[in-house]
Amino acid sequence: MEYFLQQTINGVTLGSIYGLIAIGYTMVYGIIGMINFAHGDIFMVGAFIALISFIIFGLTGIALPIVLLLVLLISMLFTACYGWSVEKLAYKPLRGSFRLAPLISALGMSIVLQNFVQVAQGARTKAIHPLFSGKLEFFKDSDFVVILSYLQIFMVFLTVGLMILFTYLITKTDLGRAQRACEQDKTMASLLGINVDRTISVTFILGSALASVAGMMFVLYYGVIDFRIGFLAGLKAFTAAVLGGIGSLPGAMLGGLIIGLIETMWSGYVSVEYKDVAAFSILVIVLIFFPTGFLGKPDIEKV
Amino acid sequence: MNEQLLVVNNLTMKFGGLIAIDNLSFSANKNQITSIIGPNGAGKTTVFNCLTGFYKPTSGNMILNKEGKLIPLNDYTDFKIAKYAKVARTFQNIRLFPAMSVLENLLVAQHNDLMRASGFSIFGLLNLKRYRYKERQAVEKAKYWLDIIGLTSRADDDAGDLPYGDQRKLEIIRAMCIDPKLLCLDEPAAGLNPKESSELNKLLEFIKNDKKIGILLIEHDMSVVMEISDHVVVLNYGKKIFEGTPQATTQNKEVIEAYLGSEE
Amino acid sequence: MNSEDLKKNIKDSLFTGLISLALFVPIVGLRTEIQKEGLYIDPQWGSTFILVAICVIGRFLINLNSQRSEKINVLGKFSSGVSNFFSGKGKQFAITGILFAIVFPFLPFTDRYILDVGIMVLTYIMLGWGLNIVVGLAGLLDLGYVAFYAVGAYSFALISTTFGWSFWVCLPLAGMFAAFFGILLGFPVLRLRGDYLAIVTLGFGEIIRIVLINWYDFTNGPDGIGGIPRPSFFGLEFTNNPKEGVETFHSFFNLEFSNVHKMIFLYYVILVLALITNYFTLRIRRLPVGRAWEALREDEIACKSLGVNPTNTKLTAFAIGAMFGGFAGSFFATKQGFISPESFTFIESAIIVAIVVLGGMGSQTGVVLAAIFLIGFTEIFRELEQFRMIAFGLAMVLIMLFKPKGILEHREPTITLHGEKK
Repeated sequence: MEYFLQQTINGVTLGSIYGLIAIGYTMVYGIIGMINFAHGDIFMVGAFIALISFIIFGLTGIALPIVLLLVLLISMLFTACYGWSVEKLAYKPLRGSFRLAPLISALGMSIVLQNFVQVAQGARTKAIHPLFSGKLEFFKDSDFVVILSYLQIFMVFLTVGLMILFTYLITKTDLGRAQRACEQDKTMASLLGINVDRTISVTFILGSALASVAGMMFVLYYGVIDFRIGFLAGLKAFTAAVLGGIGSLPGAMLGGLIIGLIETMWSGYVSVEYKDVAAFSILVIVLIFFPTGFLGKPDIEKV
Repeated sequence: MNEQLLVVNNLTMKFGGLIAIDNLSFSANKNQITSIIGPNGAGKTTVFNCLTGFYKPTSGNMILNKEGKLIPLNDYTDFKIAKYAKVARTFQNIRLFPAMSVLENLLVAQHNDLMRASGFSIFGLLNLKRYRYKERQAVEKAKYWLDIIGLTSRADDDAGDLPYGDQRKLEIIRAMCIDPKLLCLDEPAAGLNPKESSELNKLLEFIKNDKKIGILLIEHDMSVVMEISDHVVVLNYGKKIFEGTPQATTQNKEVIEAYLGSEE
Repeated sequence: MNSEDLKKNIKDSLFTGLISLALFVPIVGLRTEIQKEGLYIDPQWGSTFILVAICVIGRFLINLNSQRSEKINVLGKFSSGVSNFFSGKGKQFAITGILFAIVFPFLPFTDRYILDVGIMVLTYIMLGWGLNIVVGLAGLLDLGYVAFYAVGAYSFALISTTFGWSFWVCLPLAGMFAAFFGILLGFPVLRLRGDYLAIVTLGFGEIIRIVLINWYDFTNGPDGIGGIPRPSFFGLEFTNNPKEGVETFHSFFNLEFSNVHKMIFLYYVILVLALITNYFTLRIRRLPVGRAWEALREDEIACKSLGVNPTNTKLTAFAIGAMFGGFAGSFFATKQGFISPESFTFIESAIIVAIVVLGGMGSQTGVVLAAIFLIGFTEIFRELEQFRMIAFGLAMVLIMLFKPKGILEHREPTITLHGEKK
């Protein structure tokens, strides 16, 4: 029972990371109908920028909460630049092209980003000392002590906070309305005066910003990163987006939580080596049998 | 059911809450051209999509009389309708294979015959005489139809390079290459100038008289409808409001109201 | 070009500079290095400055170019030049190419290393031709092709090391296993839309790789399988220590033993395999199934309206492509003598896709050119290894931007009414 609880806590934490990345996938798919293959690597870039920022701020004596805030903002800002640039260079020119062109271009960008970071930062894994200490303990008297660390609490709260902020942004502001309009009908939206290009750019910026938050969390939680983490996390987050219903923001978060829980449960109860196979199998099963996911809208093709 | 080629009974097609076709019944005969007309959004293309297996009807049935054998079209999905029931169609927005040549487009239509003859590619790979002969026959058939519409000289050009009117005609003869019993044409005259329209009429008359099949036609162009239809079905908001001869159609009050609006 | 344009250009270039600062300062400029106590920052201002400068100056020049009344289209001219050079010369190029390939091992500059590169290039050409059937002809973006490569390699390795059968016997078996795998994988996924199909095949590829690493009992896991036998030349072995009663190649032909003999033989084996793949593809394009592949790629709905069964047609493409991947995998296993899951990563799939896409989907000659360029040149310029993959990725993006149909985009019809056009 205690073990299950621990796995649940861990799963929710991991799920928050996946959910934040998944939102980026689902937003981009919703507005321009493409899978941003390079999004996982944007997450990886965010993680590196967070890592570097932590190192620099570590040299100063600034208190942890302020450092966290600063790193959050810096990471979001710089990673957003990456997301924006990738869209401008590799996707925007291909908007009218045949269906597979943006996907192949995204594949190319993914390879470029991974190797760019590998060359610039070196191929070895980078580790930092844990910045968060302290935890809450439950069931101290039983065989298995359930640990809820302050970091985990922070991560979940941050995620919830961002979700609330985001939902407000999408439903109540002009920007959100513009984005929803573009998702439905880009031509009509532009005829009504919405700057479609800018809306799409903002979508990428927001998605990348959220991915960078996930990156920062990853650095804090695992303490170790390398240029490869984007590929794996990206695929899992994409699975989460599809599972939750591609195009649906709450779906992405829901999907993230489910994938996080499944992965933790599988590692905890079945086997650690095959935990990625579990995730990929879900990807395959969902895409084949369940492509609209839980909260998504069905796709009718016009004849 | 002797002369009747197609009988549609109580066909209903719903998309969620939207009723696209409401309890439609009509029939089309062999050796006749039946036109389905109606204002935009009346559900005409939806009828086609149900007939040719691209949509699954919510209820109702469609029966094809293929030389005495009654085939329930409901049981067949898209490619099977063309392959087994021999119902061919064209599309509102032309769907050719633009990067392939005109001749290749016509050969793809004869795919199933050629596949059999090639022994599912085995004979073909071994370049056996039997396959080569069948391929030559297929090319001959393509050439036959190209001659009829006067495009033989452009057989090796990419289909996407043809002018619009020729593309429409090509799509029709490509459909004929599957030797259909029922040919469904979705707005074949759209975008054609008067000269091209009259050439189209001649082509359709030829197909009706020489090949002795039934043609189902969705059209907006009244000159085409009046000139060549033997039978007319009028739809409005998914319901049939009239079925009869072209003459009677132009005189029916409800039809006039649907198109022109009622007099106030 | 007036001052208005110049001002706009400068503003634009400065903006580019700002963005590139954001891109390059953290990742390039603040390089993290490892030392005992942890990480420290090793600033790389030189490289950062150069990169930012390139971006700013590049942007400025591009803007200058587009503001001119007559634009200079460098990339366009280059690729048109290449296309024009090759169009209509298909047969000549093929014959020259094959002749060159045949005499390649005996050319004066071909030492062991170059020969090895040649073998590698030919392997990728064969893989490219195999994937070309799936991606180029049928238009199905398969990002997990490496799975079939792996199935071919592992089935050959396991059969030959367990049962001792020779390469020539195992080769068709490996192809069959791979084809069977292709049908197994293809059946549930082929009705998916383009991008979803791509991701699912990627997922499959990764699943295979992880299973290979972890199923120790069956595949030996990360340790791999060694001692894979080499092929023999009509029974003649290429070894210095023959087993009892086995003739060796060098003694039969009265030559001094040399390792090069084996390599040259392997080279010809892959050359023959690749040429068979090519011949098969050229023939099947003219058959109804090949035409159906291309028609499916163009418009699946139109195909269905003509009675073409899309699922069976796609499955055939998938299975045949998988089969050739399996053959190539067997060859890889026998050439290396040792295989491990490390050779079958997603990057391999991506490279093969890049070769097909760069060369022009469906173009056989294009695949050859792309493989020679991507694999051959970068192999020879090994010092630039690090930048090789960046160049790969950039090439994929650039091709999509400027020449989405690949370098050689012209398509020859498979059959003509009036004879070959000149």
